[in-house]
Amino acid sequence: MGLGFAIGFVGVLILFHAAYSTIQYRALLKITEEEFSGSPLSVVFELSLGLLLCTWAALTVPGKLLCIHPDSEENRIVSLPANLDFMIFNHRGKIFPVEMNEKLRH
Amino acid sequence: MAVHSGSGSSEKKSSNGVNELLTFNAENMQSNMKIIYYSRTFLSIIGGVVAGILGFTGLYGFVFYLLLMAFTSVGLIVKSKFSIHTYFDSWNRVLVDGFLGGLMSFVLFWTFAYDIAHIF
Repeated sequence: MGLGFAIGFVGVLILFHAAYSTIQYRALLKITEEEFSGSPLSVVFELSLGLLLCTWAALTVPGKLLCIHPDSEENRIVSLPANLDFMIFNHRGKIFPVEMNEKLRH
Repeated sequence: MAVHSGSGSSEKKSSNGVNELLTFNAENMQSNMKIIYYSRTFLSIIGGVVAGILGFTGLYGFVFYLLLMAFTSVGLIVKSKFSIHTYFDSWNRVLVDGFLGGLMSFVLFWTFAYDIAHIF
């Protein structure tokens, strides 16, 4: 988590530097009285590097995806809650068949 | 359970398709959706800054946004280890959700970065 955040921070810093380079490039063009036709290659390289680092951060920082299948290994209840007296088993969930036999066989 | 096992197996097979559609862990689903929105919003903002610094105007910016979102979708598919249906209930969650909300952030930061880098 901390690593992804740091990588994103570095990416944003690189983007800021690219913006600063572009501003300087514009100023240079103003002095030499040329038209802006496209960013210089170094800026394009910096931008793609920053975008890649930020993509990495955006995909890793939010956290892990969790399995949504009710009968997967991760979602099995391994410890009982403390308020067992208040638990009700006579509810509509009864009609869903539980795959108990498959689980016990492993 | 043991008593029902004989008659239950045929029932199970007939209702299996319905069960797979209806029952999934809603809490984990919400958490996954939150992760997707986070990724898309952050990448929209970063993409807007990049498009602004590169000096895209008009239609090129929107084409850039489309490419960026496609890239994000690929990234999310890789993040889910190519098994979408373990983590989401449909493909639309990965490919489409958060697209328009991200577009607003994109346009905001696109114009912002363009103004800073090229106009002022």
